[in-house]
Amino acid sequence: MSNFIKPENFSLILPYIELFQQGLIVTVLLAACTVLIGFVLAIVLAVIRMSNFQPFLMLARAFPGLFGFFEYDKQGNKLDSGFAYQLGRFNPFGFLATAYVEVMRSTPVLVQMWVIYYGVFKVFFTIPRFKMLGFISADRFIPCAVTLGLNSAAYLCEIIRSGLQSVDGGQTEAARSLGLKQMQNLRYIVLPQALKNILPAIANEFVVIIKESAVAYTIGVMDIMGAVNAVKSANSIIMEPLIVAAGIYFCLCFPASKVIAYVERRMRRGDVR
Amino acid sequence: MATYGDLIQVRDLKKYYNRGAIKALDGVSVDISKGDVMVVIGPSGSGKSTFLRSLNLLEEPTAGSIVFEGVDITKKRYKDGDGKLVKVDIDQHRQKMGMVFQHFNLFPHMTILDNMTLAPVKVKGMDKKDAEEKALALLDRVGLKDRAGAYPIQLSGGQKQRVAIVRALCMEPEVMLFDEPTSALDPEMVGEVLDVMKELAREGMTMVVVTHEMGFAREVGNRVLFMDGGKLLEEGSPTDIFEHPKHPRLQDFLGKVL
Ligand SMILES: Nc1ncnc2c1ncn2[C@@H]1O[C@H](COP(=O)(O)OP(=O)(O)O)[C@@H](O)[C@H]1O
Ligand SMILES: [Mg+2]
Repeated sequence: MSNFIKPENFSLILPYIELFQQGLIVTVLLAACTVLIGFVLAIVLAVIRMSNFQPFLMLARAFPGLFGFFEYDKQGNKLDSGFAYQLGRFNPFGFLATAYVEVMRSTPVLVQMWVIYYGVFKVFFTIPRFKMLGFISADRFIPCAVTLGLNSAAYLCEIIRSGLQSVDGGQTEAARSLGLKQMQNLRYIVLPQALKNILPAIANEFVVIIKESAVAYTIGVMDIMGAVNAVKSANSIIMEPLIVAAGIYFCLCFPASKVIAYVERRMRRGDVR
Repeated sequence: MATYGDLIQVRDLKKYYNRGAIKALDGVSVDISKGDVMVVIGPSGSGKSTFLRSLNLLEEPTAGSIVFEGVDITKKRYKDGDGKLVKVDIDQHRQKMGMVFQHFNLFPHMTILDNMTLAPVKVKGMDKKDAEEKALALLDRVGLKDRAGAYPIQLSGGQKQRVAIVRALCMEPEVMLFDEPTSALDPEMVGEVLDVMKELAREGMTMVVVTHEMGFAREVGNRVLFMDGGKLLEEGSPTDIFEHPKHPRLQDFLGKVL
């Protein structure tokens, strides 16, 4: 194997062009599926985290004599801190959603993918071996898309949450004082303003996913990296196919991030109409 | 005018932070009648904003009660005429309490007209055309009809605050709450906002106004409340408060601001 780049070696890649093409399709498809799964799950997670399901407070309201201590102290004053107060505000589903987000963000996506591929799909849902579009192995592609989706949902959920939090609290106060309900406030006042921060961040996440999807190759998804390996084992060259792969990734991501930056600038200009 | 509060009765209202270490409101009781123009004065940090924001539950009181049109809105449920337990719908009550903020809080992503019609259409289910007609008439009254299609960013501070006032009026509230409506304005714009408020008062709107504009308190208010340390220390007519202040803290305060 030669690790030096030789221009003539690039011609050795030509017969494998179709593999690179297929790899490109796999990568883009994977990123698209990931964003779709991730976005839907992120919204579900965000809604769960924002919901005010507080079973202890509900107990306190239903049986004030027995459980009132979750809401009031002995003098009949509303609690504003302390253990009983925290327990009263505890939202078990919100806690689970937060725990999920933190675990997904604090472990490597490679580990997550192997766990899901070997530990979940191989054991619990065996996917029949068939090819999608004639060249994509479903039994490897699907677990991979699911993992990347589960992973990016955590990041997207944080993007949504911080986007909503970035909207000035005075907006909600004004909306509520006009009589808008919590959901109406979210829909007409907070979300439209938050989207300015959320949309570019989501588009950015798409670029990140395209690059991160390269880990798919480790469970045998024939993406762009799969094509690199095919050239490598046939011709004992590595740098040249890697350069081609890097070029393809760059051509995907660089224009995308430029477009995002442009849209972001346009949106910010909208502020100072 | 009725001598008892026929609109809002506030009883022993308390708002504590950190388990009572901070007493933003420490037992305030006051009645508000229809047509009252109640001006709340007091040093910074005395609990004026907390009091005002408690009235429409933007702040959740620690203890005490606020009875608005016969319903204690600090409770989750109340007994209606037939003795049935009914849920207190705070959104319902907030519609009837307009609020004007120091920093305007107009919705920046909507035109002035949309700012004004959103709540009437979405909350009251008013016809969009009717809501717009009404909004334009109100804008006309504050001299801003030609800015209906503008965005808040295009307006001056004084114009924004006038829009904020008529936005609240679009909901036809029973009472208007003002939290230092002129404190964020350049001096030359204070007058135009106070003029709108004066006219409102003349028309008989019930108003609770937190302000440092002593001239307004004297001229327009029929009752003045002096707060300090979360307590209502003195209450009276403008003449009582400004000409014959009794409480030493009020005398001290007036000495500083007048
Ligand atoms: N979120 C909060 N946490 C702790 N203390 C607060 C909070 N909000 C207000 N306070 C305190 O409550 C007191 C009254 O505040 P405020 O009602 O804003 O006064 P004013 O409007 O008269 O200037 C102040 O001492 C303030 O520091
Ligand atoms: Mg204040």
